Amino acid sequence: MSSTLFQTLLYASLTLCGLGLLWRVSAWFRVRIGPDAQEVTPSQRVATLIRGAASALFGRQLFRFLGAFFLDVLFLRRLYANEKLRWLGHLLIVVGFTVLVLMHALAPVVTAKLFPGYQPTLAPYLFLRDFLGAMVIVGVAMVHYGRWRRRNGFSTTRGPANAAFMVLLTIVLASGFLLEACKIASPRAFYRMTEEYIGSTDPEQLKPLRALWASEFGVAFGDLREPIDPMLVEQGRELHRNACAPCHAQPASAFVSYPVAQALAPVMGFLDRSGADAWLLYLHLFACFIGLASLPFTGFFHVLAAPVGLLLNAAPQNLVLSASNRASQRALALDACVRCGICDVRCSVAPLSRYLGNPGLLPSHKLIATGALANGQLLRTGHEYDALRAADGAFLCTDCGRCTSACPVGLDLEDLWDAERGDLAAAGLARPAQWVQARPAFTWAESLEIDSAKRVISDADVSRVPLSADRSVFSRCVQCQTCTNVCPVVAHSIDSGHGVDLTPQKVMNLLRLGLRDLTLGSRMVWDCASCYQCQESCPEGIRVADIMLELRGLAVQRLGSVRSWRQPS
Amino acid sequence: MTRAKQDSCDVAIIGAGMAGMAAALFAAERGLSCILVGNGGSLLFASGLLDLLGVHPVAERRRWRLPYDALVALAREEPLHPLARINAVSIRSAFQSFVAALGAAGLRYAPLGERNRNVLTSIGTIKATHGVPISMIAGADLLDALDARPSCLLVDFRGLREFSAAQIAATLGDRWPRLRHQRIEFPGYEAAAELYAAHLARALETGKTRERTIALVKPLLGDARAVGLPAVLGLARAGEVHAAFEAGLGVPVFEIPTMPTSVPGLRLLAALEAAVSARGVRRRHHATVRALAFDGEGGTATLALDGAAGGVRARAVVLATGRFTGRGLTADRRQIRESILGIPVHQPGSREFWHQRDFLDASGHAINRAGLLVDEAWRPLDAGGEPFWPRLYAVGSILAHQDWMREKCGSGLAISTAWAAMQHVARQLRGTAAG
Repeated sequence: MSSTLFQTLLYASLTLCGLGLLWRVSAWFRVRIGPDAQEVTPSQRVATLIRGAASALFGRQLFRFLGAFFLDVLFLRRLYANEKLRWLGHLLIVVGFTVLVLMHALAPVVTAKLFPGYQPTLAPYLFLRDFLGAMVIVGVAMVHYGRWRRRNGFSTTRGPANAAFMVLLTIVLASGFLLEACKIASPRAFYRMTEEYIGSTDPEQLKPLRALWASEFGVAFGDLREPIDPMLVEQGRELHRNACAPCHAQPASAFVSYPVAQALAPVMGFLDRSGADAWLLYLHLFACFIGLASLPFTGFFHVLAAPVGLLLNAAPQNLVLSASNRASQRALALDACVRCGICDVRCSVAPLSRYLGNPGLLPSHKLIATGALANGQLLRTGHEYDALRAADGAFLCTDCGRCTSACPVGLDLEDLWDAERGDLAAAGLARPAQWVQARPAFTWAESLEIDSAKRVISDADVSRVPLSADRSVFSRCVQCQTCTNVCPVVAHSIDSGHGVDLTPQKVMNLLRLGLRDLTLGSRMVWDCASCYQCQESCPEGIRVADIMLELRGLAVQRLGSVRSWRQPS
Repeated sequence: MTRAKQDSCDVAIIGAGMAGMAAALFAAERGLSCILVGNGGSLLFASGLLDLLGVHPVAERRRWRLPYDALVALAREEPLHPLARINAVSIRSAFQSFVAALGAAGLRYAPLGERNRNVLTSIGTIKATHGVPISMIAGADLLDALDARPSCLLVDFRGLREFSAAQIAATLGDRWPRLRHQRIEFPGYEAAAELYAAHLARALETGKTRERTIALVKPLLGDARAVGLPAVLGLARAGEVHAAFEAGLGVPVFEIPTMPTSVPGLRLLAALEAAVSARGVRRRHHATVRALAFDGEGGTATLALDGAAGGVRARAVVLATGRFTGRGLTADRRQIRESILGIPVHQPGSREFWHQRDFLDASGHAINRAGLLVDEAWRPLDAGGEPFWPRLYAVGSILAHQDWMREKCGSGLAISTAWAAMQHVARQLRGTAAG
């Protein structure tokens, strides 16, 4: 490759990468998430952060940041605490890739300066390059296995940009190994070198050297007949010592490329004629440049955002909690999330999410929705149903905080969800308890009956037979009123003069009559405190409280499929 | 996943109704370690009155004033009746022990004595029973002195649909001319269309509501020598509420049980739960027995429980699973089965003999006398007439040859058979307790 083309491409991709990084980083101060974020201007956010960082960096706080840098950023302490396998995989990728970039990609400016005798074809570099590449491959495999093992049945939140970036990475690694293998096995490369260093390309004259390089360096001469004479090899060694050895070690230590080279031997003649080493090099470099240029535009931007987030966490509380910095941290969270999905696995409402068939309850999906809400994508016309489902997801969160404590990047997700709900409410979206109870129970039942054109979720769509559809669960009810008698919600509502519309035993009776839809919007179902006194006391052992809980879930599903956009609330 | 736990004990009792609770109490008092399986929900259908034996023979509907005389007649005429097989000393001890345990748990009963007492029901009929809670005893005393035409006031609450003072007064009017009735608003619930007894009972545990209610009743007293109220005078603090009413009104106050499920049922359940847990009985609430297996004649029994409740290993097992409502017995198209082990059930030869032609036939129905046959040690028998397993016992209404509803002997049957069976359990376990 001509150095002009190389440099043009290098600088072009560096420029793109730099502009992209600027754009993405500026979003940390531009994007507004949460009602309190609307009050702060981007310049205020930048100023607060700089002031805070300056005061923190030139005080005792510095040690906290250093600690966070080594433990959180380099050692990935939080990931280690949560998932050992993915931690190991991630560490292999980071170490492998970083050292490859320094030792191999930046060889002229780093390795050659540090080790004056550096040649890529000498030990231990032959081995190291393969070793680091293999580390990355094994690491990627481990991370993907870890993800696969924790799959939850919902589509992944990693977008096509990430997939494309993974393909690029694969091309870089594969072309690297193939290029290395070609260079080892190529007779053409052999003759190019002998011409330069010995001044000959004559096969007869080079016979002893050829014998040595064929038997110990893996060059695949098409015209060489087995077996090779050991005497000839020893003769070649002399020439080799003078002409080749200063720059060439035996490539067998390249434990990936060397076997590949041997496998390529039968087709080496063809590969040489087609100029394989050249186009593999182009491929390798192009993929590297495209990867460099596109890095800021994929989820892999987290390599910058996540460490920044982790370092910010080490800042003192007053700095973290200021409204202005909180706004920036939320925007940063959108970028720092690595889409690992550990939060989804830990999520308390993940079972509900599966039950409702709504991935919008899962933290990783909520994070995407939060971003989409902030940039206006979520509320665009034509996608109202998605917005309503996303809102259900946001509002059904129980704020248990398990996502936050599990997040390997240390994101304050609870704060993010709180802000998201504030924005959703400001946009006129309500929590299920509100939108369901905005209409009386019987009008909901009518809507379900009338709205047959719309797709109403039926029990067949639910993963298991609901309790409220299983006659054996409630048919034993003798309407003895024990549930109503012990219900503190009924007692309180009578006490306060706002009686519930149905008592628990009436809900059971409606189920017995096959009128379940009438219960879905009822105040009894929605005001149920889940204290389980009814279920504990029922002489017939009916799971009254479990049914109440399930009816709320069914209401979100079934009524959600017939509700209209922006119901009066 | 947590592994299902496997506990062991001397005696596992299946069923936590009246009989199961009594068996657990008596087992614990005899120093046996005990696990009680099932929830006590069926106790909510109880009225708090403890019947011993009120009617015998059923066909004649003969009511007995002295239950122990009735037991003598029963032993003579129906020797297979479970109660006929227990001596009077045991029955007295069983009742005393049971009532003492309830008293210690806060549910006090009037001294038992030798008599059956008459009490008012919520529909105005009079029922003979043996154990009467303190909160209801004033009513029984009044009925004893009915010849003296005592003046009495019955009060009910608007909105409490299950209790009508007017109906009781109308039903009893001929025999009790000076029985008056009044309806009042329950303070604080004026806006409510419908009232529920347990809510009122809880509300009366607050001093303010109590005082306002007493203030509403007091002007209505007139010359009344006693006041009858629906049984809503407190739940956990019932004794305190009742005493406050008597002090505030200056006359005896008595409760009349409401329709099941009632506040006295809730109190009885709470008291029994407190009593068994105070005696160290372990509970497996809401568990149903999926399977019961025996490890040889001399070994242990293993109960497999539903769901996460785990299993139980026991040296002896007591079936207190009740009849049809307790689901100890299951009736299908052809026959009646014992639900857990399929123990042979004593029953009419075919379904056509289950019931009389007339639903209200005075002699009752044969199906209501179906149940398990037991040997002298209360062990259910297999088809060959031998004990099903050497340490498997059956108590309460699952036993054959009794019609406890018509004979008014439900509590007596439960408490007495539990006592008698537990004597045998203790004796047998001590005999085998070498290991």
